[in-house]
Amino acid sequence: MPTAVHSSLLARSRYHSAFALCRPVVRSRVARNMTINSLAKGGWNREQMTCFRKMEKVIVAMQDPDMGMKMRNQRLLITVIPHAMTGRDIIDWLIQKYSICEEEALHIGGMLVKYGYIYPLKEPRSLVLRPDESPYRFQTPYFWTSTRWPASELDYAIYLAKKNIRKQGELMEYEKERYSILHKRINHTWDFVVMQAREQLRASKQRRKADRIVLECQEQAYWLINRPPPGVANVLDMGLERPNSFSSWITLNSDYYKREIDTSRRALGRNRVKSSICLESFVKFSEQYLYHDPIMQGCLPSNPWISDDTAHWTMNAESVPTPTRLRVECWSFSFMSLLNDVMGRREFMTYLEKEFSAENLCFWQACEDIRHGESSRIVEKVEEIYKNFLAPGAARWVNIDSKTMDKTLEGIRRPHRFVMDDAQLHIYFLMKKDSYPRYLKSDLYKNMLAKAIVPQETKKSVFPFMRRQRHASPSPAQATAHPAEEEGQAKGAKKAGTNSSVHSNA
Amino acid sequence: MGKEECKTMLDALNKVTACYRHLVIALGSTSDSQNLREELKKTRKKAQELAVANRTKLTSLLKDKSISKEDRAEYERLWVLFSSCMELLEVDMKRSLEIGQDFPLKVPTRHFIQTGMTGSTTTVAARAMSVQNMKYEADSNIDTVDLRDLQSEITQVSQMMEEMEMKVQVAPWAVEAKQEPGAELKSNMSVGNSSVGVISICEEEPKDEDGGGSRDPGFATICAVLVFFVIITVAVVLGYLVVNMS
Repeated sequence: MPTAVHSSLLARSRYHSAFALCRPVVRSRVARNMTINSLAKGGWNREQMTCFRKMEKVIVAMQDPDMGMKMRNQRLLITVIPHAMTGRDIIDWLIQKYSICEEEALHIGGMLVKYGYIYPLKEPRSLVLRPDESPYRFQTPYFWTSTRWPASELDYAIYLAKKNIRKQGELMEYEKERYSILHKRINHTWDFVVMQAREQLRASKQRRKADRIVLECQEQAYWLINRPPPGVANVLDMGLERPNSFSSWITLNSDYYKREIDTSRRALGRNRVKSSICLESFVKFSEQYLYHDPIMQGCLPSNPWISDDTAHWTMNAESVPTPTRLRVECWSFSFMSLLNDVMGRREFMTYLEKEFSAENLCFWQACEDIRHGESSRIVEKVEEIYKNFLAPGAARWVNIDSKTMDKTLEGIRRPHRFVMDDAQLHIYFLMKKDSYPRYLKSDLYKNMLAKAIVPQETKKSVFPFMRRQRHASPSPAQATAHPAEEEGQAKGAKKAGTNSSVHSNA
Repeated sequence: MGKEECKTMLDALNKVTACYRHLVIALGSTSDSQNLREELKKTRKKAQELAVANRTKLTSLLKDKSISKEDRAEYERLWVLFSSCMELLEVDMKRSLEIGQDFPLKVPTRHFIQTGMTGSTTTVAARAMSVQNMKYEADSNIDTVDLRDLQSEITQVSQMMEEMEMKVQVAPWAVEAKQEPGAELKSNMSVGNSSVGVISICEEEPKDEDGGGSRDPGFATICAVLVFFVIITVAVVLGYLVVNMS
């Protein structure tokens, strides 16, 4: 019986304490919602930066009487002020509480000091955390660094006036400057500044001496951070990393979550290729084009940029009687490379004419013309295509499946640049799957390949330093194979200059 | 005369604002307590009363078209001072709401920041309320109840300030300060603490003021010195007599 009662009491008290724990946090956030939103004039809601909120949590955790910081007393000549701690204490506490290493604790503690949550008692102008016996103290919540309540000019003026009174005019140089600047800038309310400064000093005199000392230290620490002396970086100024609006108050309502869900869903649906597959095709591509790359293989007859001999370009011009072998080989790599080469396209057209399916390529070319041509002529070009290729009974009718045909005919009513895209793609794949492989196996192509010339490498002259280098600089592939040649090539490289080579048809 | 009355009222508001700021600084620290919350509440209410009184007086004076030009300039200056005072008061009220919510009194897991200030703020509040001793009669749930009042009061104050801006057209740039820079040093009041630096805690700050401020320890040392000298004199006299006798 008694145990039952006891446990129920315990449960109730635990419930109450848990409830008490939750209550202020929820209430304050709700209340803050209400107050800040309703109180903001002009609609600019400033928010406390997240990093400061986190630091505040750490500070509050340090206050725990059981698990918190160990406090010492600060002994001045006659007064004793409690609640001081050494730098070493701070670091040890951080290490113990968050299970981190000393370096990290030093960093976190350093940030707490840098942003003014803890201030040093000896050497107040040096805002660093020393891991030794130097004393520190907590800052009062009113003076915590806050982006929500930035320090105002009026407050600073009042502080300077107070300091002026206390020190009988013995301010520091930069403080004197700022004082006179402020006097000019807020001149209209300067009398108030003086009045308020005097009254604040009188009010502070009502307190015990120890408290007065603490108050002065607090104020000084606050203003050292919010109005740093010249030469000291302003910690609140984040330069380029500054977030561009403190005012974004994201309301966590259903719209926000719907948007988040949509974004995530779209991201999931994106096409992703496994890197193993990507890399495979990349390796295949590299292997295929290895011999076509002038940097890796050098170009025949010689690199025009080095030898000043433009033979390479003339041989690979758009229309030559006989193409180079490399060029013809390139046509077999992919259909697109065949079509991109003017000569290749011409050859392919000849082949298709033999096969009586030339209209496909003509249609494809006409569609390309629309896509890349002038906007003003789109309508007339579409008309022509329809007349020549798509109309029933047209001279060069192309074979498109009915669905695409219907869609295209629909689109022709309102012609635009990309109206023929579907049909073009259909014909493209038709050619690629059907005609292209047959072309590569055809006699036409094989003859062309046999006819293709391989230009001779320019003769090396007798004198070594007149040598025309095929490689501008030692090719990485050659480096390991020919160490002896390297020396000569290096000499040539020094003569050479830039290594850019023209990458022609490959 | 209207001007003197205005000035006195503005001084009173100024004093209460300064004391209120002092009390808000103590919020959340180890000198926080139920008494402090009550003091804040009372000071705040007094400040609001004074603010409303000031505003009505000044607006009626400014609306009066029959005043002379110098009078008008003076009233405009007072108006500008009054609005600066209200700015400070409004910010302090908002901050006290925020800090008060963050540091509720009765939650055992929420601890105050150990700032080193342990004394009470009774004297400051007494100064604000212009009484000798403060009487405390609030309930234990003052921190939650008061915050609700505070919210509504903040809205009131914001509204009042908006009205002030809208209704009274006073150009701040047209007002010139009467005091030159450094005027506060010329005050002959004991506000200017002669910083007889007895103790310097940090490099230059703050020098321990032993001047006009805290008289009690000074008085004690004077007494001690006097007593010491009396004893010395008595000892000398006795010694002389002894020497004479023997």
